[in-house]
Amino acid sequence: MSRVYIPLILFVLLILEGVSIRFLPPQIAAGDLLFIPHWILLFLILVCIFYDKPRTYHAVIYALIFGFLIDMIYTGLLGAYMFTYGFAMYLTHILKRAFHGNFYVSLLLAAIGTALSDIVIYVIYSVIGFTDLYWTEYASVRLLPTIIINLIFLVIIYPMFVKRFIRWRDEQDWSS
Amino acid sequence: MSFLRRKRLFIFLISFIILVALIGYSISERQEASTLEKFFNDTVGWIQSAVHVPVSFITGIAGNVSDLITTYEENKILREQLSQYKGLIYEVQELRKENEELRKAIGETDSIRDYEPIHATVISRSPEQWIDEVTINKGEHHGVKANMVVITADGMVGKIRTAYEFTSKVQLLTGFDQYNRISATISKDGKNNIYGMIEGYDKESKSLVFRIIEESEKDVKEGDLVVSSGLGGVFPAGLVIGEVKEVGFDQYGLTRTALVEPAADVYEINHVIVVDRSLEEREEEVEEQQ
Repeated sequence: MSRVYIPLILFVLLILEGVSIRFLPPQIAAGDLLFIPHWILLFLILVCIFYDKPRTYHAVIYALIFGFLIDMIYTGLLGAYMFTYGFAMYLTHILKRAFHGNFYVSLLLAAIGTALSDIVIYVIYSVIGFTDLYWTEYASVRLLPTIIINLIFLVIIYPMFVKRFIRWRDEQDWSS
Repeated sequence: MSFLRRKRLFIFLISFIILVALIGYSISERQEASTLEKFFNDTVGWIQSAVHVPVSFITGIAGNVSDLITTYEENKILREQLSQYKGLIYEVQELRKENEELRKAIGETDSIRDYEPIHATVISRSPEQWIDEVTINKGEHHGVKANMVVITADGMVGKIRTAYEFTSKVQLLTGFDQYNRISATISKDGKNNIYGMIEGYDKESKSLVFRIIEESEKDVKEGDLVVSSGLGGVFPAGLVIGEVKEVGFDQYGLTRTALVEPAADVYEINHVIVVDRSLEEREEEVEEQQ
């Protein structure tokens, strides 16, 4: 069942990202700070930690596919999110071997993953000329708010999915 | 092991090349979106319009409560304004009738002011906030084409960047740069109008930059209304863009620029109108004449 559910949830997250700005109060949304939802990345970090086995790369493949969809549907700049998410997931895959899968490790890896991908996106966008923010300004206006809002999101989805992922991972053994 | 490491490096390099190639492809000057993009945008757009309804209902509740609190005050002001408008409506009707008759008399019926409205709903907004873009639920099938202007009841909000079959992407005023100029004008009573160009959005002052090309005898004042002039050939005339906030010189001190505060709120847009100018652009004829 996990083969159907995980892409389906990712697809729902993809669509919800498009209306994410409505969940913020209008005063904050119109303010200077930028809150970028990286929900797909966070969900995939949980997939990577709790569902993927050391030798499977589901999360990386999903990151490439859904990163490409984000590029096509929301930014129009193909490749940026695909490359960034794929790279971040691959790094998470390597890092998770050093830790036990628990809540604090997920928080840590999510913070690293979000920060890394947002910085790579900033670098790509400033090379192309989509933004001309100086990096100190970028760190306070976009990077910090984005990490904080995404960690809050992780705290919300963590109890909803972790047990299911572990169950699905064990089911994989049965079927294979 | 050395083989594995080499393989990893190889994959990384290839993916980097693919990244550069994809970015190069997407920032090149494309007129049409690729079939794959059209397919995914239309499919997702269809689901987005279904999701949009419950989401805006839930998020609307909070807005409704704060609206209710201010309703009484607003009602008072609106009632005062309403009595003024009644006189104005009569005047406008008379002027419109007179205008039409005069137009008939000189045999010119189409005006650059006329447009066909295409009503649309905003179904999503790009989560990447550096790209000021929203998606609307009308596309080529409904007559939307690239570069059409998009307005709300308050004024201009942007223009169509790409039109897919059933959805389209709107580039908001806040994302305008020097490549998206709007020919605009400030109307002056009894004197020549001031003409100029909206040349982009200044993020620091949160306003549009209006470069004045043709001055008038009367000077620009704060609070002057900037409207589209229709001389650019794509947008119809008379669409409200914003109000003058500040007047100054450009960086070289040669021309004067005014900072214009957009009339429409680009953060809370739900229903928009895509403006299809009735008068066709006569570019080909002009080229032939030359």
